[in-house]
Amino acid sequence: MTRIALAVWLALPGALTAAPPNFAKEVAPILEQHCIRCHHPGNRKGELSLTTMSDLKESGQVVPGKPDESPLLKLVTPKAGSTRARMPKEGKPLTAAEVAVLRRWIAEGATWPEGAVLREKAKADGTWWSLQPLGKAEPLAPPGLPADWANHAIDRFVFARLAEKGLRPSPPADRLTLIRRLTYDLTGLPPSPSEIEKFLHDNAPDAYEKLVDRLLASPQYGEQWGRHWLDVVRFGESNGYERNVLINNVWPFRDYVIRSLNEDRPFDQLILEHLAGDVVARGKPDREIGTAFLVCGPYDNVGNGDPAQAALIRANHLDEIIRATAESFLGLTLGCARCHDHKFDPITQRDYYSLYATFAGVRHADRPIVSKDERETQQAQLEKLKKQRDQLGKERDDLLQVIRRRDAQPTAAEEARLGELKTELDKLNQAIAAAPPLPRVWAGTFDADAGKRPYHLFLGGDPQKKGAAVTPASLSVLAGLPSRYELPATASETDRRLALAKWIIGADNPLTPRVLANRLWHYHFGTGIVDTPSDFGWMGSRPSHPELLDWLARQVDVHGWKLKPLHRLIVTSQTYRQASTWSDAAAKADADSRLLWRFPPRRLTGEEVRDTMLTAAAKLDRSKMGGPGFRLYRYVEDNVATYHPLDRHGPETYRRAVYHQNARAARVDLLSDFDCPDPAAAAPRRASTTTPLQALALLNHRFTHDMAQFASARVEKEAGTRSADQVRLAFVLAYGRPPDAEELERCVPVVEKHGLRTLWRALLNSSELIYLR
Amino acid sequence: MSEHLWSMTRRQFLGNFYTGLAGIGLADLFAAEDGWQPGRGQTHHPARARRVLQIFCPGAASHLDLWDHKPALAKHAGKALPGEEKLVSFQGANGGLFPSPWKFRPAGQSGKMISSMLPHMARHADDIAFIHSMTSKTNTHGPGCIFMNTGHAVEGFPAAGAWLGHALGSANENLPAYVAIPDIRGEPPNGKANWSNGFLPARHQGIVMAAHEPIRNLTGPRDLTDKEREATGGLLDFLNRRHATVDPGNSELQARITAYELAGKMQLSAPQVMNLAGETATTHKLYGTDDSNTLKAAYARNCLLARRLLERGVRYVNLYCASRASGADGALNWDAHKTLQKDYERHIPIFDQPTAALLTDLKQRGLLRDTLVLWTTEFGRMPTQQAGTPGRDHNPDGFTCWLMGAGIQGGTSYGATDEFGRRAVDKVTTVWDLHATVLHLLGFDHTRLNWRHNGLDRRLTDVHGSVIPDILV
Repeated sequence: MTRIALAVWLALPGALTAAPPNFAKEVAPILEQHCIRCHHPGNRKGELSLTTMSDLKESGQVVPGKPDESPLLKLVTPKAGSTRARMPKEGKPLTAAEVAVLRRWIAEGATWPEGAVLREKAKADGTWWSLQPLGKAEPLAPPGLPADWANHAIDRFVFARLAEKGLRPSPPADRLTLIRRLTYDLTGLPPSPSEIEKFLHDNAPDAYEKLVDRLLASPQYGEQWGRHWLDVVRFGESNGYERNVLINNVWPFRDYVIRSLNEDRPFDQLILEHLAGDVVARGKPDREIGTAFLVCGPYDNVGNGDPAQAALIRANHLDEIIRATAESFLGLTLGCARCHDHKFDPITQRDYYSLYATFAGVRHADRPIVSKDERETQQAQLEKLKKQRDQLGKERDDLLQVIRRRDAQPTAAEEARLGELKTELDKLNQAIAAAPPLPRVWAGTFDADAGKRPYHLFLGGDPQKKGAAVTPASLSVLAGLPSRYELPATASETDRRLALAKWIIGADNPLTPRVLANRLWHYHFGTGIVDTPSDFGWMGSRPSHPELLDWLARQVDVHGWKLKPLHRLIVTSQTYRQASTWSDAAAKADADSRLLWRFPPRRLTGEEVRDTMLTAAAKLDRSKMGGPGFRLYRYVEDNVATYHPLDRHGPETYRRAVYHQNARAARVDLLSDFDCPDPAAAAPRRASTTTPLQALALLNHRFTHDMAQFASARVEKEAGTRSADQVRLAFVLAYGRPPDAEELERCVPVVEKHGLRTLWRALLNSSELIYLR
Repeated sequence: MSEHLWSMTRRQFLGNFYTGLAGIGLADLFAAEDGWQPGRGQTHHPARARRVLQIFCPGAASHLDLWDHKPALAKHAGKALPGEEKLVSFQGANGGLFPSPWKFRPAGQSGKMISSMLPHMARHADDIAFIHSMTSKTNTHGPGCIFMNTGHAVEGFPAAGAWLGHALGSANENLPAYVAIPDIRGEPPNGKANWSNGFLPARHQGIVMAAHEPIRNLTGPRDLTDKEREATGGLLDFLNRRHATVDPGNSELQARITAYELAGKMQLSAPQVMNLAGETATTHKLYGTDDSNTLKAAYARNCLLARRLLERGVRYVNLYCASRASGADGALNWDAHKTLQKDYERHIPIFDQPTAALLTDLKQRGLLRDTLVLWTTEFGRMPTQQAGTPGRDHNPDGFTCWLMGAGIQGGTSYGATDEFGRRAVDKVTTVWDLHATVLHLLGFDHTRLNWRHNGLDRRLTDVHGSVIPDILV
């Protein structure tokens, strides 16, 4: 801790009066800014560290009193005719004034105060906003607050920020817009014509709230919001890297996420199960499966004969788990501290390797996941069979011995008995071999010996260069919290993960509820209050509504970590229910509507686009929830795997896109084109791009054609033979609204001349279908 | 119009729209005076190269049997590698030193020693700058390939071609800025991650196209009549234009209309570029497109396609010669673990003539003046044989890559491995140095070409890389 070390040193009167230049005020900052990042004990580029006096002496870089003989000075001074000095290799070169300070310092004897340790400072320190306890601010009633915005805390927070910028909220959206917006938001699907009809004519004062409750209770809610979470935790179903083979038994994790959200199980429990389900829920398959989180990322399974390379690969695997954990739950980019202390956030390399020591027992593998009963029944059955086998085996051995001792041919009776025994034993052996194996799930295995080994920093991230010893511990920057922990080096493998999980969901941890609340906001409004949902550090964004974020984060605990009440809270606000009408004036102050003067329109996700097309065609099989996924590629495995996108998507693929077996580095039509992320990395925020490849896929892929045919057949069946009626139904199915007169006038002749499928092909390609307002 | 027509996110559209920059077409690039911005055809400094052809031989093509002549291997054949007598590498134990089965011959004015298996390539020796001191940080194919292409040995990072698309934008609105041409035998190790846009916007991904494989979804279902297509297009345009007026603030809606126009243009221009029939018989013969070796002919057609793409303004072409590993080592790519001689007698003839023809053709057409050609592979091979079998194991500690064309000093050999070719010892060079040099020639300071992602300003060269001035003109 530089600051502490230097502060102590500054307090020494002798130091303050030392010969110029002042080490702490002039020299140390130069070294800290330009040199320490690469030249510290955790990195030692060029086998050089410059953090302590003994480092400096050992380096031979400085000859006290003789600046011209000191290599350090030569390295930072540009040679004649050159614009850049050899050092620092990266970042800003030293200014002439800084070089002059170093020259003077060396000339004056290069004194280094006793005990001073230099350290590169992170940009953010412990006072960083996201590390502070949750604020207690309650919403005020700013002047000018509209009456219908006065009752909801969220609205008052949002209005206050709008008012600061001289902005006003938009009027409420109409019911057609609202039901489409809300149905997509909560379920990822369009509302059906009858659902629209019902909502339009529901005169009850709580018609909207009833709609919210119906949608939150529908099983499609878990599919939609489960998909969001699967993005965050980089859930993929192939191992990636060179072999990239499919993992066919990790789908139970997807079902677990969807089921847990539908049942509204407290999210802190989910986090606990993600990190230590094998500990907290052993024998309860529905929950134990959570540990698949640890191993559903990419990993390299090629194998390596070179031990140094093998160690590096193993370190990469653990790095992937460490990063996924820190980013998903804490919104911290801990991976940056693998080679050196974090440059931006107050995270040390020691913090990183404390997590390394925590996860060191995790292996990418499957394991049997069954209930206690199942396991015991299976064991009991097997033991019974084995016991019988042993008894009969003994009888046979005894009999054979008797015969051998007698030294004569077996009698007929003995012969018969031996035959019987052989038949019986064969049967038993077959039964034992045929006993169904316990179902295995890709949820990781845990090496208990990991709790018995010592762990060290890896200098510069290199497993061959061991640094100081580390033990499992909470992040040092939050060491002031009561929940902090540091386990002894002898702590068991399971205790390590459990301690971390409990710390992450600890009542005093400010990061977890903030990050979670922000994720919900992000998916409801398209942009989070912090628009970098997995980075709440210095390189991330600052919250647009800090007080609202903290208020929401406190609601997480108020509602027992259940998400449905939080959704309800957000979507019943007037902020959410505003129209999305454009305003030039408001856009001048806030073009992206970060302050929410209108509801920000968004494009549908790739999954939503596909599910919508299937729904319009009445082909989406909603009942096929869960289980192994379907594939939009042909899978070829010859040592390594290749994924060939399919030109035809058959009826077996007419399921919700969340059930697509997403392999890494595999592109499929439509989904990949519409920015469904490659689970090579986490995707806490999806891109929304517009490309000609999307146009080509939507225009030309057989899937569009098939859906246009099916949708046409459906409309013919449901709307009768009049073209105008057909167009009306098609518009409601595609856009959630009837056509206006001009549209009708334009579309009817097309239907009459070219048939319904031409209308449908245009609708399925059109912008209104894939944009939400 | 270019970049924002090819595709865009809303913010970028607004940016271009309001500054009135109408795109760069095929006009010259210009170095930004100050305030460089990506995607507008601007460079940091004047560019030597306007486009890149990267030829990639996956499977780890052996430096010792192609480009890096090591007479000491013959002299000490069968003896243990000094200092590493018990060498254990990727596949395990190693045997004695293993000389190349082929003679090396001097080539060109420079007298560069090149394997006699490469008679066609040898004619270009005086135009090539060899880097014999390349190193990789992994000895595994997949991570090695993406390391060479993206500067990172893990997936999720943009390839060099994607970075260039981000930096400059497209030069031809009818074709993608970045094209990957996989080999007819299949994708390279780690597949599509080699031409990924990573965290950059989707429009920067390498578009797959090969003589044997057109761009996906270029044509629609056959049972649609032209009248139906026309009617769909007309109605779609009506619907989209109308909807765009509903939300004038959402420029994505305008962008979608443009994207459909562009798709229409691509439907016309992509088949044109793929159509090799217009090339002269002499050209076909030069490349070997009708060779009786069908793998060679297929690669030759891809070489010809590469030239056609480059001359039409595609900025980055990733051309592959061989594919990922099959169950049998060395069958589908350059991974000659067990039977080096047999494997390379299959692979080298596929590579030699068509590649040399492509270089000749580029030169004849004057394209080489502003096209940078790279020859790469993911790492090298061991100077020893694998225990008990005449093949070579993986060697990330020393191998060869080469450059040619725009801004490159031909007839150069830069850096060196030790006398056996085991390790780079002189002017040790990293993949990041290579990338820094490529970006430098394209007009970019590699430290300034970055993108904020998950809390870090990421770049092609990670936090490393130095330009190699010694190979530049």
